[in-house]
Amino acid sequence: MTAARFFRHETILAILTIVAMVVLASLSDKFFTADNLLNQGRLMAEVGLVSLAMTFVIVTGGIDLSVGSILGLTAILLGVFWKNVGLPLPAAMFLALACGTFAGWVNGFIITRFSVPPLIATLATLALYRGLAEGISEARSVRGYPEWFFFFGQGEVMGVPFQLWILGIATFVAAIILGLTPFGRATYAIGANEVAARFSGIRVNATKLWIYTGSGFCAALAAVIFVSRVTTTRSDMGTGLELDAITAVVLGGTSIFGGRGTIIGTALGLILIQALKNGLALSGVKGDGTIVVIGLVLIGAILVGALFDRNRGG
Amino acid sequence: MTAAVLSPGRSNLHRFLSGYGQEIVVLLAIVALFVVVGATNHRFLSNTNINSIFAGNAYIAIAAIGMSMVIMAGHIDVSVGALIGVIATIAGTLAVSDYPIWVAWLVPILFAIMVNAGVGTLVAYTRIPSIVVTLGMLSILKGGLISATAGEWISNLPPEFMIAQMRPFGIPSAVWFMVALTILAALFLRYTDFGRSIYAVGGNMEAARAAGINPERTVIGVFALHGLFAGIAGILFATQLQVIQSTVPPNLELTIITASVIGGVSILGGTGTVIGSTLAAILFACIGSALIFLNVSAYWLRAVLGLMILATVLADMIRRRRDT
Amino acid sequence: MKKLTLAAIVGLGLMSGSALAASAWTGGDDQPTSPLACDATPAAAAAKPYDGGVPTNAPDRKGKKITVVDVPKLIGIGYFNATSKGIADAAKELGNVDAKTDGPTKANIDDQITFIDNYITSGVDGILFAANDPVAIAPVLKKALSKGINVVGYDANSTPDARQWFVNQAQFNGIAKALVDNMAKEAGEDAGVAIVTSTFTTPNQARWIAEMAAYAEKCHPKMKWLETVEAQEDNNLSFNQATTLINKYGDDLKGIFGMTSVATPASAEAVTQAGKCGKIAVVGLATPNAMKPYVAKDCVKSVVLWNPVDLGYAAMMVLRAVADGTLQPGATTVKAGKLGDLQVINGSEILLGAPYTFTKDNIGQFDF
Repeated sequence: MTAARFFRHETILAILTIVAMVVLASLSDKFFTADNLLNQGRLMAEVGLVSLAMTFVIVTGGIDLSVGSILGLTAILLGVFWKNVGLPLPAAMFLALACGTFAGWVNGFIITRFSVPPLIATLATLALYRGLAEGISEARSVRGYPEWFFFFGQGEVMGVPFQLWILGIATFVAAIILGLTPFGRATYAIGANEVAARFSGIRVNATKLWIYTGSGFCAALAAVIFVSRVTTTRSDMGTGLELDAITAVVLGGTSIFGGRGTIIGTALGLILIQALKNGLALSGVKGDGTIVVIGLVLIGAILVGALFDRNRGG
Repeated sequence: MTAAVLSPGRSNLHRFLSGYGQEIVVLLAIVALFVVVGATNHRFLSNTNINSIFAGNAYIAIAAIGMSMVIMAGHIDVSVGALIGVIATIAGTLAVSDYPIWVAWLVPILFAIMVNAGVGTLVAYTRIPSIVVTLGMLSILKGGLISATAGEWISNLPPEFMIAQMRPFGIPSAVWFMVALTILAALFLRYTDFGRSIYAVGGNMEAARAAGINPERTVIGVFALHGLFAGIAGILFATQLQVIQSTVPPNLELTIITASVIGGVSILGGTGTVIGSTLAAILFACIGSALIFLNVSAYWLRAVLGLMILATVLADMIRRRRDT
Repeated sequence: MKKLTLAAIVGLGLMSGSALAASAWTGGDDQPTSPLACDATPAAAAAKPYDGGVPTNAPDRKGKKITVVDVPKLIGIGYFNATSKGIADAAKELGNVDAKTDGPTKANIDDQITFIDNYITSGVDGILFAANDPVAIAPVLKKALSKGINVVGYDANSTPDARQWFVNQAQFNGIAKALVDNMAKEAGEDAGVAIVTSTFTTPNQARWIAEMAAYAEKCHPKMKWLETVEAQEDNNLSFNQATTLINKYGDDLKGIFGMTSVATPASAEAVTQAGKCGKIAVVGLATPNAMKPYVAKDCVKSVVLWNPVDLGYAAMMVLRAVADGTLQPGATTVKAGKLGDLQVINGSEILLGAPYTFTKDNIGQFDF
């Protein structure tokens, strides 16, 4: 029963995505071209990576508002380690990734050790991490990265943007972990009923700690790709990323109360939003109109999903 | 830490503290700020500065009252910042189009109540999570506002429209509103059936239903009330300055939600008071002002703010752990 | 615990306070500065070869109808409304341009890049931009050049090789001189001054502050900089920040610089509501309409700005000239419709003119 229930929303979403694609392709002949679609893949890689981890977080019934700030902090640290500290760039990348991951771990630590609700904990670190990024950089940007570094954000492997490979692999791995492993089952169990999960012997705190740490890592990875794509570092990078990621995840059918949701849903949610943004722009709709449409689609898609749910007597 | 200092008369005090624990933490933080910063720079305690601290964030405090009720009922609203921007723009447009001033004040408030009652109806009857509905509303209001105004500023506002700048008895009217609405809301939550039903619905919806409460109606009512407070906040926001920007104030919803949760409203619903959220809004204004007075390098300002929020939250968690 | 936090904050404050004393004004960037002479001597323009980019295989667009998109830093604010109006005016006057403005709703580098990328795909002939970050925007602009699209910037520059020309509203050191000179005149040579800016990461503002610090040191050495505060592009926050500065410094504060068209009127409002008109001077960048009430009440004496409508108009005219091939690398002037001949500076920049100072006598003539 649960599997059928999971796939119900994803089916609706898949149909909606296909309809959107067909309509958008008929509105503009520039939309459904390999060039454009691959390019859109490049543009959605950062928010995509963050959304994957966010799916886990939301399935546990939590939320991570600090991802945008972790992205900004990691980007700044990458620049500072390389330019100001003088480390070789690969070492700086590694260290920055480690710091971003650590920032995620701190979130998890505050949430599990002090039982602070995730919304509050990450609301506080949202300000803290962004503040650290501003303070450490003194709002200066770091530029002048070597040419090879741009590969991560601008390069291609077999004609497909490098970061799209990363996103594809990450999606695959995330889908397997959430769908097929004991860890994934523990994630669902925590979201469905944390107390019951604890009593049934699931290591709730350890699982949550891993998930928030993973969220930090994904945001940090997105930061490296972002810096490489735009060739500069700024402390305001990733502002508002959390809302984009949450929108994709909930559009993908993950319940904000926890216990339900899939990676496939999140991937579809991401694709639908990106297709709308791009396709509407290509067919001449302006940006302010586009965000209105996205808002309507978000409510509409969830509404349709909820109605189907109800008709089955749920 | 508070319990240890004030140990005499423990049993009564203890009950008092666990009832208002977070409010007391926030209040102590405010007092501590005034003492420490006042000692380093006496101008911090000047009348004008205290007035600006209280008046500057009054609209946030008022919006946080409504937000607190929504959160107590187990929901959330991330579109409130956009709504306040829209209300301010409508009010300004009416005020410069020769409508009577009371129309310019009341129509936007009614609009806010209607929008949020609509959100409440969707949330209550379709069971779509409020965060999804309000994320959607955020996009719709924001995009709609920009399409409608293109960011054209509204200026030449009539002086009698400027309700936030009026100073009955020498105190800014925004402060009067903040104090009066906080007290009214606190009494309302405590002594009316509807107020108590909010806690009940937030605590356990099915149990509330079993106890004879209509949870759907309560949720719609809560969102409509939230619209009322957001509407009043929007009018105060619109009348603070001579021009209205016609844009969505950046990150306003985050500030309002933070004020509610720092003030002790549990994000899981069912508990909390509106006194705490008002105190928290004042605390933010205090911190913002204090950091400038203490010469904290502007680059580090946001980091310190985050640290202070975290400290407040952790202090509360540690206190709760001691209580149980 | 609370005390500890506070102690830590006080410590941090002292630490950073002392660290700041050595550097220039907070909020400035670390690029080299070139303050102008203290009197009115214009700087000798050093001749510099063309350093802009060149589109690859651009089709011959001479006299043909072209579609142009304008992507400002963000839409929905008065300033870019005005530039967008100028662009539309010029397009109408030219008759063979189809121009529209579209952009992100917040000044976000990522969103802006996505917008430009989408318009490259949709196949426009020309792109006008005002960059949120000079370096971050470069890859996508280079992509546009590589597809044969004409690219012209205005208001906020990119790295030179990522666009063809940049219409410079007024040089950074010129703005800095106008602001600091006016402040010294109104608040006194030894005035204590504070700055309200948008964010420290906004390139134009950071550049102006750095140039102001350099110029003040050279020409008004007694002017005392007190503090810079951030206020986003937010009216109420700007007002609160300016009010706090007034409360903190009391009589030591003689002047406030507003670095954005939002911060300046909000600072003037703060001074008005504090009853300090005439005691605290407000000098800053702002549009005339927002400042008229304060200028009328004598609370603000001088407002510095270029005409943003003209800026947009000039940018559109330059783009048309580039598309027609009438503006070639190495040119020293360009014809810009009703604005006449504009001068080429710094290799590939076109100067709109000197910054304009609005005063009580002339502010009534402007409506934007």
